[in-house]
Amino acid sequence: MKKVWEKPELEILS
Amino acid sequence: MLKNPSLTLDQSITQRKGNIVSNMGGEKVMLSIENGKYYNLGEVGGDIWDTIENPVTITELVDTLMAKYEIDKETCLSHVLSFIEMLRDEELIKFN
Repeated sequence: MKKVWEKPELEILS
Repeated sequence: MLKNPSLTLDQSITQRKGNIVSNMGGEKVMLSIENGKYYNLGEVGGDIWDTIENPVTITELVDTLMAKYEIDKETCLSHVLSFIEMLRDEELIKFN
């Protein structure tokens, strides 16, 4: 079963 | 259509080395030794990061992701290109 796609984002944490 | 004309589908990309990567709650977080920043790549971003451990073309990357995720090719390609541009802007990847 395939996984649910979520738009990839690059979050800068610091 | 590609926003950046220098980014082509047969372009080969790979990780830049010098990052400390860890999985936290299913998401991938990373510390860049180079620039001192912490990043959260998320789950899909983490899969992309793992896939580009070795050089792959953008087409190969999209095919790999489509095998794992429920997503159509056009949307996947659009999202992947945006993400790659973010990685490139942060100098986390290199083009071969």
